[in-house]
Amino acid sequence: MLEVESLAVSYGAIKALHGIGLRVGRGEIVTLIGSNGAGKSTTLRAISGLVRPAAGSKIVYDGTSIASRPPHEIVRMGLVQSPEGRGVFPNMTVEENLELGAYVRSDRDGIDADREKALSLFPRLKERFRQSAGTLSGGEQQMLAMARALMARPRLLLLDEPSLGLAPQIVQVIFRIIREINAGGTTILLVEQNAHMALKVAHRAYVLEVGRIVMEGPAAELAASDQVKNAYMGRHA
Amino acid sequence: MACGAMLGGMAPRVAEPIKVGHYGSMTGSEATFGQSTDKGIRLAIEEINAKGGINGRPIELITYDTKGDSGEAGKAVTRLISSDKVVAVLGEVASSLSIAGGAVCQQYGVPMITPSSTNPRVTMGKDYVFRVCFTDDFQAFALAKFVKENLKLDKAGILYDQKQAYSKGLRDEFTKAFKKMGGSIVIDQAYSGGDQDFSAQLSAIAAAAPDVLLVPGYYTDGAAIAIQARKKGIKVPLLGGDGWDSEQLGKIAGDAIVGSYYSNHSAPDQPDMKDFVDKYQKKYGQMPDALGGLGYDAANLLADALRKAASLGGKDVRDVLAGTSGFPGVTGSITIDKNRNASKAAVIVQMAKTEKGDVQPKYVASVAPDAAGEKK
Amino acid sequence: MDSRLGPAPPRAHWPPPRAHEQARGYYPPFTVLEKFLQTLMDGLAVGSLYALIALGYTMVYGILKFINFAHSDIFVLGAWISYATALFAGYNDLDPAAAGIQAAPFPVWVLYGLGGATFVALVVAGIPKLQGRPLSESARALLLGVTWAWACAGMALAARVLQGAGWSIVGGGAILICSMLTCGLVGFTLERVAYKPLRNAPRLNVLITAIGISLLLQNLGQLEWMFGTRPQGMPSLLPDAVLAEIGGSRPSPDADWTVQPVRIRLLDVIAAGTAIVLMLALDRLVFHTKIGRAMRAVSFSERNAALMGIPVDRVISFTFVLGSMLAAAAGFLYAQKYTKLGQTADTVWVLLGLKAFVAAVVGGIGNIRGAMLGGILIGLLEFFGVAYLIPQLRDVYVFGVLILVLLVRPGGILGSTAVEKV
Repeated sequence: MLEVESLAVSYGAIKALHGIGLRVGRGEIVTLIGSNGAGKSTTLRAISGLVRPAAGSKIVYDGTSIASRPPHEIVRMGLVQSPEGRGVFPNMTVEENLELGAYVRSDRDGIDADREKALSLFPRLKERFRQSAGTLSGGEQQMLAMARALMARPRLLLLDEPSLGLAPQIVQVIFRIIREINAGGTTILLVEQNAHMALKVAHRAYVLEVGRIVMEGPAAELAASDQVKNAYMGRHA
Repeated sequence: MACGAMLGGMAPRVAEPIKVGHYGSMTGSEATFGQSTDKGIRLAIEEINAKGGINGRPIELITYDTKGDSGEAGKAVTRLISSDKVVAVLGEVASSLSIAGGAVCQQYGVPMITPSSTNPRVTMGKDYVFRVCFTDDFQAFALAKFVKENLKLDKAGILYDQKQAYSKGLRDEFTKAFKKMGGSIVIDQAYSGGDQDFSAQLSAIAAAAPDVLLVPGYYTDGAAIAIQARKKGIKVPLLGGDGWDSEQLGKIAGDAIVGSYYSNHSAPDQPDMKDFVDKYQKKYGQMPDALGGLGYDAANLLADALRKAASLGGKDVRDVLAGTSGFPGVTGSITIDKNRNASKAAVIVQMAKTEKGDVQPKYVASVAPDAAGEKK
Repeated sequence: MDSRLGPAPPRAHWPPPRAHEQARGYYPPFTVLEKFLQTLMDGLAVGSLYALIALGYTMVYGILKFINFAHSDIFVLGAWISYATALFAGYNDLDPAAAGIQAAPFPVWVLYGLGGATFVALVVAGIPKLQGRPLSESARALLLGVTWAWACAGMALAARVLQGAGWSIVGGGAILICSMLTCGLVGFTLERVAYKPLRNAPRLNVLITAIGISLLLQNLGQLEWMFGTRPQGMPSLLPDAVLAEIGGSRPSPDADWTVQPVRIRLLDVIAAGTAIVLMLALDRLVFHTKIGRAMRAVSFSERNAALMGIPVDRVISFTFVLGSMLAAAAGFLYAQKYTKLGQTADTVWVLLGLKAFVAAVVGGIGNIRGAMLGGILIGLLEFFGVAYLIPQLRDVYVFGVLILVLLVRPGGILGSTAVEKV
């Protein structure tokens, strides 16, 4: 569904990605783990069109090259990202945030139906429906960000650090819902620092280290490898 | 051979031009002032050169833009004198800029003639600075005399621009002269140049009910005040100074300004102006305002002095200029007095609707210079 | 009102203002109620125009976080376009030929420019079309611009036809729309040509560019084939009459002067009404429509807005167009109210633009309702200051309140008090 080849990104003189490659198959949950500053978020940004990849980079989504497409067109193709730090619009209500999620759609009935679906997935949001997003707790904001991304009816959902800064119980809830979303037929590319949780839900995984993919394979295999255990799971295990 | 002969033959005919400088506001909000003056000057120089120039040498005019800024004026004059080596300088319209430029001319000993700066301070204490127009003191006196003797009105109101020395000067002198003649100022209001709304002041003026309202600012304010005064139900004539002189006054204010008066250096419908007006219209396709006529006179007076002077040195030209008496300018006969000001008649014009439907000034009266009692 | 008093007796002589009043720069006040009402009305009328201009400053700041110093020049352009279009449409009390006014034909250079741009647009858009390729963003922008420009010209023509048919008030409306469309197009072009390439540049660069654009517009307007350097009188396009006179016409309590009645003028009512309708429409647009939500999203974070599938560039262009159109409307209404148009570089305009900017800051820059509130507030403050305090200090009141607000509530009245991040 998504194929990335020799993807390189520089911020000025600093190279953030040195030509990485990864593949996400239809229906999979693929996770990209790595420490802070490894280039995980940059990868997602490049896929979403927020940063311009270097010449020669290949990003193919559903058979179409999207390497130089503007972000709003990429969203229209069903490739939707829930950004790092959640990125909810704090001065708008939960309702308005969800409406914005459906910006690319104009089927009013479908939008209303999906909103009901999203609210049943995240019942907490239903209670806060008319509240401004800035007043929500961190966990609620994360739920809102994911619900909002679902409003676009994504076929491939990019999740950037959904567990960041959340209490352990909330993290459990979030990951349960990620699995539910995937079960509903949505392919997911998950970027996480919390390798322990990520490897638990994912089918396959890539390990990113200072701009290079250093390991890849089925999630269970990686979770079992000593290298990953020592480097990324110590804190969480 | 043939070539050499031709060159040799041409050389004496290309006499070295005499350089004359002009500094004026060619851009900025007072752009029309500088542009009109420059047009008048260029018309005069074109004629002078066509008639053989100054003893065979043509005049070359160098114009610099002051952008209506007195700092720029000083710089422009310095550049004219020190890098272009002009023999004399013409300019500015606005008095504050003429004061700045005059100081530079005085310092270098280069004669300067301002065509239209009316503030008394422009020539004061500067024996190289002359003007071909009357001063504000006289203009205010002429207005007061006209109101009292021709219109026979006693109660005047004033609305002046507190930011403009010109406006304030006219207001002060008018008040003094009018009171001396037995009139009274029933209301005295101020605004700041740049204001667009005069409703508060005009309400007060309406309540005080003067017979005539003096608005001694520039024509843009005059037009705006006329329009708003009529809306406030003030129907008395307005009265202005030479700052009202622009063909735009009638165009902007239209019916609101009809019946109002202002004093000026000349009126286009004066019989002795006709020749100049025709020439100007032919060249530029528009009616000259008084600034054009004054620019024309200043250039001609300077050319006359350059012709008569013993040399083109500053002192010689200056001495000839100082002795000017009865020079026949298109804006009237010019006699330079001991303060280097021109003693000239002021004309009073009234805005009237022509049969074509536009609003133009019409000559109504002249006030002779000796009537001022030759003060100072 | 006060009919029992009858009309004021004609007075043989009015004593001049008392010395102490003159010294303080006071003028004789007319009675309390009339004066208050008149001041309130004048202040509201001018304040609503300030608000219209302030909206443009605040919207652009909200989205791009920089002060578009060229915005007040768009307002000036709006006034002058209204003038030029009105002449073209034949609104003039005078016989143009006889009065020596150029009969204002459709400016030929506009036609040439339009024709040239259309040709280029057809080529740029036509070639990919023939080859079956999708249009590039710039080709699309060019096509839109050309179509838009033709719409402006069409509106001007409509105004001419309407005026000729005697529907002069409807024609006036057409001129308002023409002016709004033209300024919208100018705003669009400025953003695309001058500001968009600087989207990621340091803010100082953008600020300097804005000042440069402002000077460019001022000086272009001075050219003889544009509007020239002479101030002009705006023909009246909207009807004006005194709707009602309230009170007045009786001697003041100490019988020194007559009390002036409050005059409600139709023109003021139309101007303020139009301004308020436009503001309500904008408020509705921003807070209750999809594009409005998109604008607010972009103003919070361009990146996150893009992830919602919002075409950020288009939303920014839209914002510029909207702000420019409101400024044009303000320019039109202003020209109708004050009828004298100073040349584009006139200091009068600079001061007006500055006051509108102050209104935006006082209301809370970036906040749309704040700009509306700030505009009205500044208008009222100015007029009440002039009427009740010292009239010469008109501008002092405006800039004084700016300092006060910045000291007490730096974010503005409705602005967030949070210190700005970045």
